[in-house]
Amino acid sequence: MDLLLDDQEIEIKEAAAEFLAGECSPTLVRKVEGDATFYSLDLWRKFAENGWLQLCLSEDVGGQGLPLSYLALLFELAGKNIAPIPLHATMVPALVIDQYGSAQQRERLKDVMAGQLILSHAVVDRLGRWTTERVGVEGKVEGDQLVLNGVKGFVDAFPVSQQCAVIYRDADNGELGVALVPTDAQGVSQDTLAPMAKDAEAIVHFDNVRVPASARIGQPGDQGAAAIRMMDLASVLYASQMAGAAGHTLAMAVEHAKERVAFGQPIGAFQAIQHMCANMLNAVDGTTMLAREALWRMDQKLPHRMNVAQAKSFANEQCMMVCRSAQQIHGGMGFMLEFDLNLWYRRVGSWSLRGGTSAEHRRTIASVLLDKVGQVRIGTVPNAI
Amino acid sequence: MNFSFTAEEEQLRAEVQAFLAEHFTDEVRAEYAAGRRGEGWGPLVRDFYDKVSQRRWFAWSWPVEYGGGGGTRTAQFVIEEEFYRATGIILGGGTGAPAILAFGTPEQKEQFVPGAIRREIIFCQGYSEPGCGTDLAGIRCRAERVGDKYIINGQKIFTTNAQSATHIFLMVRTDPNSTRSRGLSILLVPMDTPGLTVRPLWTVQNNPKAPFGTTYGEERTNEVFLDNVEVPASCLLGEEGGGWDVARRGLNLDRVGAFRYLMSVQRDEDIVNWLQAEGELQDMLRDDAQVRDKIAEMWTEAEVCRLMTMRSISIEQHGGKFTYEGSAEKVFAPEHSVRSTEAITQILGPHAQLMNGSVDAIEKGVFAHNLLGAYQSTINHGSVQVMRDQVARNGLGLPRPAK
Repeated sequence: MDLLLDDQEIEIKEAAAEFLAGECSPTLVRKVEGDATFYSLDLWRKFAENGWLQLCLSEDVGGQGLPLSYLALLFELAGKNIAPIPLHATMVPALVIDQYGSAQQRERLKDVMAGQLILSHAVVDRLGRWTTERVGVEGKVEGDQLVLNGVKGFVDAFPVSQQCAVIYRDADNGELGVALVPTDAQGVSQDTLAPMAKDAEAIVHFDNVRVPASARIGQPGDQGAAAIRMMDLASVLYASQMAGAAGHTLAMAVEHAKERVAFGQPIGAFQAIQHMCANMLNAVDGTTMLAREALWRMDQKLPHRMNVAQAKSFANEQCMMVCRSAQQIHGGMGFMLEFDLNLWYRRVGSWSLRGGTSAEHRRTIASVLLDKVGQVRIGTVPNAI
Repeated sequence: MNFSFTAEEEQLRAEVQAFLAEHFTDEVRAEYAAGRRGEGWGPLVRDFYDKVSQRRWFAWSWPVEYGGGGGTRTAQFVIEEEFYRATGIILGGGTGAPAILAFGTPEQKEQFVPGAIRREIIFCQGYSEPGCGTDLAGIRCRAERVGDKYIINGQKIFTTNAQSATHIFLMVRTDPNSTRSRGLSILLVPMDTPGLTVRPLWTVQNNPKAPFGTTYGEERTNEVFLDNVEVPASCLLGEEGGGWDVARRGLNLDRVGAFRYLMSVQRDEDIVNWLQAEGELQDMLRDDAQVRDKIAEMWTEAEVCRLMTMRSISIEQHGGKFTYEGSAEKVFAPEHSVRSTEAITQILGPHAQLMNGSVDAIEKGVFAHNLLGAYQSTINHGSVQVMRDQVARNGLGLPRPAK
C-alpha cells in the first residue's frame, strides 16, 4: 500500500502538466466555445503527437500499456486545464475496444492514438437516466447485419466524432450490447444540445441504421460486460477530471484570498475563508483518491463498480461545493462573464450531471451493501462487484 | 500508487486476527475494561501484553533497539487495524513515546521507550488546563528551576488515563516572564510523585456504561493537581523553553494511525451489518430509498476517511513530513463520524435513543452512546477549527490573521 506517486508516475504527471500548461490557456478555451467545432482540433493533434492518447492502451496495438491509474493523473490534468479536446469522449470507448474489440476494431486504435479518429460513446436514452434499464436503442441481428433503432440522449462530442460506441439492447435475447457505428451512417441524425459546458453534446436518432454484425464490440456473452465497462470508465474518468478542475478553482480562490484586502487584511487571513478553503482541499483530495483507487482496482481486475460509484457520487456533490465556494470567495467578480472562473464552474456543473448523478450511483453502493448478507468492513465488502 | 497490501502483510493480518481471537478473551477484555477504572491492569492483561510485546506488535515499525519490530509502517498499520477493531487498543508507543524518540536524550530513550512499548510505562497527556485547551500557548502551570530540580505548581484538566498512567507528559511554563508559546517546556513526571493528585471527571457517554466500540468510550477522564511537586531536572524532554516544538511534533505523531479512521467509521459498518439482518424494522428500513441513499453517502465518506489515513501512513512510510495531511484527516474523519452518527440515529428513529441495558435497545445502544461520544472526536486532540487553520495555512499558504 502506497498512496503516493512513484517516480514514473511523477515523471509522466509532470510531463503532461507541462504540456497542457503550455498549450492550453483560458483564451483558447474561450475561443473554441465560440467555434463550430467546439474543440481545438489543433490541440488534439498536438496532444496525440505527444503520445498522451497511447498511455493506457495496449502495447500490441501501439500503446504504452501503462496501468489505468495513469489515466487518473492525465484526466486530473485535463480537468485542471479544462483542455478543450474530446479526450473523455474518445478514451472511454477506446479502452473498451482495446479490451473487448476484434482484431479489426483494435487495429483502428492506431488511428485513435494518432489523433485521426475521434470517438464518442452513447449510453443513456433521452431521459438521461444512468442505468442499464433504459438504453434507448434496440438492436436486431438480421443476417450479417445489425439494425439499430431508437434515440440516445446526451452523447458528448458526437458532432465531432467519426465513430460512436452505442449501447443497445438486443431485440431477440434482451441482452446489452455495444456497437461501433459510423456517425455518418445512413439513418443517423442528431439534434445538438446547448449544455452549460458549452461543448458539443447531442441527441442522436437511429432510424433503421444498418451496420455489419462485426461492428459489435465483444463476443456474445461479454457484450454486456463491455457496456458496463464503458459506463464505469465514463463515470470514474469524469470524477478524475472534476477533481482536477475543482482543484484549480481552489487554487484560484486561494490566490485571490491572499491578494484581496478587506477590513484591513487579506480576506485569506479570516478564518471564515480559511475554513472554507480547508473544506475545499479535503473535497478535492477525497475525490482524487476515490477515483484513483477505483481506476487502480479496475486495472488490477478487483471488484471496482462500488468504488466507481463512490468516486462519482462524491465528486458530483463535493466538487460542486468546491467550485461554488470558489465563486463565493471571489465575490461579485466571480460571476462576471469576462472573469475566467466560470469556465471551470460551468464544466464541473455539466460533468457532475453526466456519467451518473449522486443518487444513481448511490443506488449501486446501497445495493452492494444491503441486498446480500455478508459482514462488511470499510475497505472490505464481501459482496463487492 | 498502490491501494492493496502485500501477501506478507495480509498473512500478518491473518496472524494477528488469529492471535486476538485466541488471546483477547472475554476475561481479558473484562479485566482491561476494569483497569481503566483506576485499579491498574490485572494479571490477565499483563500476560496478554507480554505476548503482544514478545511479538513486537505494539510498535512494529519502531527501531529494534528500543523494543520495536523494525518493520514497515504499512505493516504496523495492518496490525493497528486489527488491534483497534478487536480490542480498542491503540498501538504504537502511546502518548509521549514518539516525542521521546524524536527529542529525548539517549538515556531518556532507553529509560522510557522500551517500557512504553511494553506498556509498562503509560503516559497521560498533561496539556490542557482549565484556562486553555486547544490554544496551548495559554499554559499557566509553572515549573521553577531550583538547582538540579524543578518545582511544579498548577492544574491540568481532561487528563485521560491519569488514573492508570505511570507518568504524565507535562507541559509547563518554565520561564515566568514568557508569553504564548515561548518559555514552555515538557517534563516527564512520575504519577506517584508527592504533591500530585488526581480527581475523576466522568463522561456523558458512559452513564450507563457504553458498549464496546463507542467512539470515545472512556468512562472517565481526570483533573490533575500539582502542589509543590519536585522532580529532578533530568525529567526535562528536549530543551528548556522548547516545549512547544516537542508537543507539536508529539501531537502530530500521536494523531496518525489506523484508529484515526476506524474510530470514525465503525458505526457505518455497524448500521450496514444490522440492516442486513432479518427483522421487521430492518426489512422496512432496508427497502426505503432515502435510507439507502443516506447509507451509501455515509459509506462513501467513510471510505474517504480510510484513504486519508492511508495517505498519512504512506507519507510516514516514506519518512516524509506532513504538510497538512495529518490535520486534514483530523477534520474530515471526526466530522464524518458526527454526520454519520446523527444520520443513522435519524434512520433508526426512537430506538436510537435507547441506551445500554434498555429494553429494545439496538446493538446494546451503541448508536445512542455514539450520539454522546462522536462529537467529542471533533474536540479532543486539537479541535477541528484549529486543524482547519493548519490545513489552510500549511497546506494552502493562507496568511495568519492580523493581531
